[in-house]
Amino acid sequence: MKMIKDKIAKLSFVGVLVGVTAAMFYAPTAAAHGEKSQAAFMRMRTIHWYDLNWSKDTVAVNDTMTVTGKFHVFKGWPETVDLPESSFLNIGTPGPVFIRAGSWIGGQLVPRSCSLELGETYEFKVLLKARRPGDWHVHSMMNVKGGGPIIGPGKWVTITGSMKDFKNPITTLTGVTVDLENYNIDNIYFWHAFWYAIGLAWMVYWMRKPIFIPRLIAVEAGKADTLITPTDKKVGIAFAVGTMAIVAATMASTNAAYPITTPLQAGLLRGMKPIEMPAPTVAVKVDDATYRVPGRAMQMTLTVTNNGDSAVRLGEFNTAGVRFLDPAVHEDETGYPDDLLAEEGLTVSDNSPLAPGQTRTYQVTASDAAWEVYRLADLIYDPDSRFAGLLFFTDESGNRQMVTVDAPLIPSFI
Amino acid sequence: MSASQSAVRSRAEAVKVSRTFDWLICFTLFFVVLGGYHVHFMLVAGDWDFWVDWKDRRLWVTVLPIMAITFPAAVQAVLWWRYRIAFGATLCVMGLLFGEWVNRYFNFWGWTYFPINFVFPSQLIPGAIVLDVILMMSGSMQLTAVLGGLAFGLLFYPSNWPVIAPLHQPVEYNGMVMTLADLTGYHYIRTGMPEYIRMVEKGTLRTFGKDVAPVSAFFSGFVSIIVYVLWHFFGRWFGSTAFTTAS
Repeated sequence: MKMIKDKIAKLSFVGVLVGVTAAMFYAPTAAAHGEKSQAAFMRMRTIHWYDLNWSKDTVAVNDTMTVTGKFHVFKGWPETVDLPESSFLNIGTPGPVFIRAGSWIGGQLVPRSCSLELGETYEFKVLLKARRPGDWHVHSMMNVKGGGPIIGPGKWVTITGSMKDFKNPITTLTGVTVDLENYNIDNIYFWHAFWYAIGLAWMVYWMRKPIFIPRLIAVEAGKADTLITPTDKKVGIAFAVGTMAIVAATMASTNAAYPITTPLQAGLLRGMKPIEMPAPTVAVKVDDATYRVPGRAMQMTLTVTNNGDSAVRLGEFNTAGVRFLDPAVHEDETGYPDDLLAEEGLTVSDNSPLAPGQTRTYQVTASDAAWEVYRLADLIYDPDSRFAGLLFFTDESGNRQMVTVDAPLIPSFI
Repeated sequence: MSASQSAVRSRAEAVKVSRTFDWLICFTLFFVVLGGYHVHFMLVAGDWDFWVDWKDRRLWVTVLPIMAITFPAAVQAVLWWRYRIAFGATLCVMGLLFGEWVNRYFNFWGWTYFPINFVFPSQLIPGAIVLDVILMMSGSMQLTAVLGGLAFGLLFYPSNWPVIAPLHQPVEYNGMVMTLADLTGYHYIRTGMPEYIRMVEKGTLRTFGKDVAPVSAFFSGFVSIIVYVLWHFFGRWFGSTAFTTAS
């Protein structure tokens, strides 16, 4: 029995050693942002990101890049998520690896939260300045108050150089140029060290004398009043008066040094300017939609009517940032992230041009591993099993028009 | 040696043991208070203390002293009534600031690279010293609550002003006016911290024009009085030895 115990102990020890050593030599980057964990219905039925472009794949420290594109605020916004009345255009990066040098919705700078309207489409731009070297996943992102972060597609961007070279110069309205990266740090350290030293002096004054046991005995013996000496009182007064005098003097000197200061700026920005989208000339009715679990494919029956004056073809289905394309109609040339692009993922029963005035029933299949990889298939476990997305039709001149779809989704397990 | 015999054999040895005990208790107390106070403070005042773009002249000034006077009141109750020691508040605040600086430097800067000028903690030591001195001079909980609590609230903003004033200088940025603090919060990306979470400049205190901070400080001082009384009793209750007294 003892031999078995010894053996188990030995093996456990070796196991722990192997584990610790492995952890020391192999520590892969944790780069996930949880984008795949977010409920599928939330990604499919709130903000639809499209026409996204990351201006660079590699950027040096201090250089800038942009993330641009459009987002459509879905009209069938789920009831379980608060409306986007207070929203913030964010950017999904692992901390401040970039600084956000600017962000705009419809040409308006949005350093603060803003109000968005359902059913509208907005153009956005985020200007990023590289700060910390590494490979980073950069996502578009919209935070919605009461709804949480709604994370859009992400792309890997490499920052080269050294963070020590990073500079962030800003000129104040008083004409002083400062580097925000390290401005005021010495002042912060000085004042904190100064007051800590004074606090320490007060503590040391008391701790140089016996503290706990003799004082407890004295208090319990009814001699508590003898424990505070006249010197203690004098020293105490000196500390209190000195503290208040220093606070008053430094307040006055600070006001003299910085005569112009303003309060923090806050408040909701309203009236964001949406894109003036032409009325769609293609009408789409979803007759039914099923998600076939074994085949990782969503099948839709659509009745499409072309009310325009040019024949159209269905080129793309976009949901939760995953793009299913029919390569015969549309090919991506923007360098969209591979994992979010199903270049041949869209199959249409008859995708010949739909002539003006014509109505046709389509059997559309959107299939790709992305359904699983991006956990969109989990939609069938959501409390409101509806899907939504954007259909892009292309006319004879190559113009695209966007049509939203929103319908119940029936899972098929066989 | 029987259980009833003393562990020390001379007065010199007793003094030595007593001093060793002092240092052990002070060291332990510092870190125990640091842990409890730090967790408490992060939970109830967290973002106001974490980020420079939360340090406004209304809610930061109001909330922080109210939430910060808690542990000092409780620890003062124990140290003063049992030992007549007058450094309870200072010990607490120094513990809190030590913990906060370790957190801000190693976690916020060392791990996630937020610059220190964005994440430095608020200054509380001047208020704590005055609180200690008032208790020592008066020996009265009521007077310490009224005068000390008020002073704790009133001293907070001016003792932080030398550090935050440079960051309240205005900037014109792409057609909008911001302070350097606002701009820092905007530049240094916080993915999990959307701007609308920021609780700054909210409220209806508009009658005094731009002089909001003194009114907020007075209000904070008044509420600190009540919180001090409450937590003082927590301290006395927590420090009770009624259940361990030998028969």
